[in-house]
Amino acid sequence: MANRIARAGGALVLVSALALSACSTGASTDGGTDAAACAPSDGPVTLSFTTWLPGMEDAVAIWNEANPDIQVEVQTGPNGNGGTYNNFFNQIEAGNAPDLGQIEYDALPNFRVQDGVVNIADCAGVLDAQDQFIDWTWSQVTFGEENAVYAVPQDTGPEGLFYRADLFENAGIAIPTTWAEFEEAAKAVRAEGGYITNFSQSDINAFAGLVWQADGQWFKNDGEAWDVTLDSPESIMVAEYWQNLIDQDLVAVLPPWTDEWNNGYNSGDVWSWVSAVWGANTITSGAPDTAGNWAVAQMPQWNEGESAAGNWGGSSTAVLKGSEHPYEAAQFALWLNTDPEALSSMNKTANIYPATKTGGDLPAFSEGLDFYGGQNIYDVFAAAGAEVNPNFTWGPTMTQTYTDVADGFSAAISGSGTLSEALTNGQQKTIDAMKAAAIAVNE
Amino acid sequence: MTTDIATPATPKKAVTKKVRRATKATKNRGAVLFFIAPFSVLFLLFYILPILVAIYQSLLTVEREGTFGKPTEVFGGFVQYARVFQDDAFWASILRVLTFGVVQVPIMLGLALLLALLLDSPLVRGKRFFRLAFFAPYAVPGVIAAVMWGFLYSPKLSPFTAITSEINFLGADLVLWAIANVVTWVFVGYNMIIIYSALLAIPSEIYEAARLDGASQARIAWSIKIPLITPAITLTAIFSIIGTLQLLAEPQVFKSFTSAVTSTFTPNLLIYSTASVPNVNLAAAFSVVLALFTFALSFTVLKFTQRKAD
Repeated sequence: MANRIARAGGALVLVSALALSACSTGASTDGGTDAAACAPSDGPVTLSFTTWLPGMEDAVAIWNEANPDIQVEVQTGPNGNGGTYNNFFNQIEAGNAPDLGQIEYDALPNFRVQDGVVNIADCAGVLDAQDQFIDWTWSQVTFGEENAVYAVPQDTGPEGLFYRADLFENAGIAIPTTWAEFEEAAKAVRAEGGYITNFSQSDINAFAGLVWQADGQWFKNDGEAWDVTLDSPESIMVAEYWQNLIDQDLVAVLPPWTDEWNNGYNSGDVWSWVSAVWGANTITSGAPDTAGNWAVAQMPQWNEGESAAGNWGGSSTAVLKGSEHPYEAAQFALWLNTDPEALSSMNKTANIYPATKTGGDLPAFSEGLDFYGGQNIYDVFAAAGAEVNPNFTWGPTMTQTYTDVADGFSAAISGSGTLSEALTNGQQKTIDAMKAAAIAVNE
Repeated sequence: MTTDIATPATPKKAVTKKVRRATKATKNRGAVLFFIAPFSVLFLLFYILPILVAIYQSLLTVEREGTFGKPTEVFGGFVQYARVFQDDAFWASILRVLTFGVVQVPIMLGLALLLALLLDSPLVRGKRFFRLAFFAPYAVPGVIAAVMWGFLYSPKLSPFTAITSEINFLGADLVLWAIANVVTWVFVGYNMIIIYSALLAIPSEIYEAARLDGASQARIAWSIKIPLITPAITLTAIFSIIGTLQLLAEPQVFKSFTSAVTSTFTPNLLIYSTASVPNVNLAAAFSVVLALFTFALSFTVLKFTQRKAD
């Protein structure tokens, strides 16, 4: 007890000393980016953590309770491409980024190429944690390199087909298991006055998930230069499939993540959504009037009898450049994404599915959800997760790629051009943007 | 004894007077500095300095080794500017806002002038109410106004679905004019107030003389009021041109209602998305070119209208 008080007193002195040194050294914290410099700080530290997961405060409260010397403050922002990444880039440039940030796998290369994330491989316990994580998530955060870890995997986004069980049943339409059946079902749903799904013209990462399922690739990095293959045969095949549905007016084209879009699902105009596991939360909050009527099935297949799955999203927790406490930040990131209590809490508030191998065994994932008619939807996503191609590579300027392809998709929806043309244009614009940023790229 | 005192008194007085004048001058200078300091400091910090930083940034370019090499900024001369002039999307966005301006600015200023003349006319009752009513939309922040109109235009959520489900105001063909309507709604009142205050400054003797000569209210408005308030109209025109080229908030908000507003819809949106890549050097070059373009256009309009006035 006395020891504890003495420690607290000493800590207080240290805090003031730290605060003073923080003032005097200013922004010269480049040392934090050097992996070799990952040593514990003296005394208590406070870490800032920016995320957009709803309810992250609950998980962090568990940590703060157990770790009085490493307190974490949560800041919430809009989702990554909705503004948080932009803020991170500006904060990194200004030298006042938070210690920890939520970064999706697709954005990690962008942050690395901007020198915005810290290599935490030398922080105690980080390399040893590899075995706990699903292999493909680990290769996303290490870029397949030795002695490099740029973030700790948090969750994955294996995809499934969310559908309105009641509407399909009443109309006597079978749940499609292949993309060919999906088109037939789309015609039947349209005859009923609804739309089978909405084509998300600006969710290019969702489209990437569909390409991922079809075994396509958009980028390749051989260490010397990047290859950009947005217009790969698989990619064009997926684009032509959806273009066909759009041309026949078989899918809604509501701008995603808007009230109009929520209304489409809430009012029963739109019957299904090919989305990732975390989409369960989106439907619950966006279409509250449809509670109990949803169910989840495996996403439609290109070839009958297969069980290929795409992945949409999935985040990691990265230590951002400029953090003065990379050691503590890494410890928190490891705990947040491996501790059963933390994982259960994040699943409860945000429906995320952990990136750890054993995460799916947690009791939280063996329960049925009332919103989904009591179905244990995680069974479907766990099966999908095992089928996700582990070798999908993201490019170093994804923000730009997404924006340019989204512009092209939107134009196609408005009737000028096609989805395939948007990909071809996006291909060229991505190459141009990489050249403008002096990133080596093969034409 | 009196002389003894009087004699030294004169120079003494002169000296103190001189000293007093000197202190007064320095005191004044202190006061001048004191009063202009807050403006100057803020002006330098938040206006001149950012411009200089932007110009400096626009002259840099990034270099790195391999696929994941650390970026280093080096002097690149006019490399970024070459990219600006090769960027079709940028010039397309400038053309788009110019089209917008050519239509929207005359309509808005025409309405503002009409409302100001009505308010100034002796025939209209309830002036105070109307003055406030016309000005009220300007009190609504631009973003809020855009969100409100976004819902009004929305095909399914609008209170006027009978119209919006038939005419897609948020489609690629109409969205620019839907935005023009929002901008007009917000800024008519603001421009009206400027024009109206110019009208109030016209001496009433001129009106009396005109009435004695038998001029009607319409004639007075056409031949006396409008020529006399031309400088105010020019001023509002310049403001509007600058505002048009800098359109950002309304299209940015509309992006969440429709996908017809792309990331390169207006020059400022394009700069914003370039900075998000992030490619700050190119974004800075875009900004500098846009600023020069705006300056040139405003200056041309000013020259043109002044020559006409002479």
